[in-house]
Amino acid sequence: MTITINHFLVVSFLLFSIGLLGVLVRRNFLTVLMSVELMLNAVNLNLIAFSRRLSDLTGQVFSVFVITIAAGEAAIGLALTISLFRQRRTLNVEDANTMQG
Amino acid sequence: MTGAQAVPGALLTGAAGWLFVIFAVLALGMAIAVVVARNPIHSALFLLSSFLLVACIFILQQAEFVGAVQILVYAGGIMVLFLFVIMLVHQRGVRERLTFQHQWDVALLFVLAFLLPFLYVLWTERFPDLPQNLDAFRTVRGKIAGNTQAVAWVLYRDYLLPFEVASVFLLVAMIGAVVLGKRSAEKVD
Amino acid sequence: MSDYLPILVFALLAAALPLATILIARALQSRKPNPAKLEPYECGIEATTFALDTRFSVRYFLIAVLFVVFDVETIFLFPWAVMFNRLGLFGLIEMLIFLTILVIGYFYVWKRKALDWA
Repeated sequence: MTITINHFLVVSFLLFSIGLLGVLVRRNFLTVLMSVELMLNAVNLNLIAFSRRLSDLTGQVFSVFVITIAAGEAAIGLALTISLFRQRRTLNVEDANTMQG
Repeated sequence: MTGAQAVPGALLTGAAGWLFVIFAVLALGMAIAVVVARNPIHSALFLLSSFLLVACIFILQQAEFVGAVQILVYAGGIMVLFLFVIMLVHQRGVRERLTFQHQWDVALLFVLAFLLPFLYVLWTERFPDLPQNLDAFRTVRGKIAGNTQAVAWVLYRDYLLPFEVASVFLLVAMIGAVVLGKRSAEKVD
Repeated sequence: MSDYLPILVFALLAAALPLATILIARALQSRKPNPAKLEPYECGIEATTFALDTRFSVRYFLIAVLFVVFDVETIFLFPWAVMFNRLGLFGLIEMLIFLTILVIGYFYVWKRKALDWA
């Protein structure tokens, strides 16, 4: 089986779309956050594939930065989840519809 | 992975190519399971397997360091955080209502909006046939070292500013999480 | 590719061990299911609601967040340590700036008493 860059693009596109659908369709705050992580992972897959294709390490370095961003995003997102749960006793994104605490 | 030069533009050939197919199909299946599962704990475990499979793909692509980082940070850190919050928040007393919102139309529209330009690029774009150089991923100043060494050389030499900005970002994440978390801790105690 | 064979063997062993434990336990256990066994102990009165208390304190979450942040910091420390000799003084100063910024956050967390357990 010969794999070219196009295969990688298709896989990462599908992964990104699954994550996007998850963000838009799910109600549970936690699942939405997990879907965002899937999307970031799809981006990483692309970065690595192009790094390999162009024989350039920049893609690998930047995917380390993307992983850093993902960690920070998870930390803040989950802190917000806990705040929401303390205030409203819910995890439903649609219940988080007012701006003031 | 020695026969990679046989077909121009081939990233993986032979058994490694089939391994990629297996990893990719499994990773996509796990990703679908993340979105579909009702129980957040199941979602988290599927997400973990998806991350591990993507890490395997990274390792196939000469990115050993990023693969290790993926396992360390995602499996070791982020998943622990997710499971912690699920345990903290997921209580039987809080009934889970419908798991899906009725936004399928918008969601499919969005995916279509991404799909069309993607297909256009895939069909029209011909990526140039560059000579592939696997040593580029493990060479530091002309000497063969390891992938980690090569990444370090690029990271600390060429990407100095992003590296320092990353620490500011981590500082912001830490302070933000503590401010939000501390407030909800005080609310209870 | 063959470099990864030990890792594969290790992963298979790691997966087999807990599976074997579960299966052996299932084979050896005596099972007499009884609905009363599943009820929470509540002084003879039948349970009407589920407890809505906080089973874990949020403090655990704060510790976990700090763990993740410093986990990522370690990710940046590791390649630096591997290349320490080649990067020299330049790398040292670079890493000191990086660490100083994070230590500021650490002292903030300390001052906010997020690490206090009392």
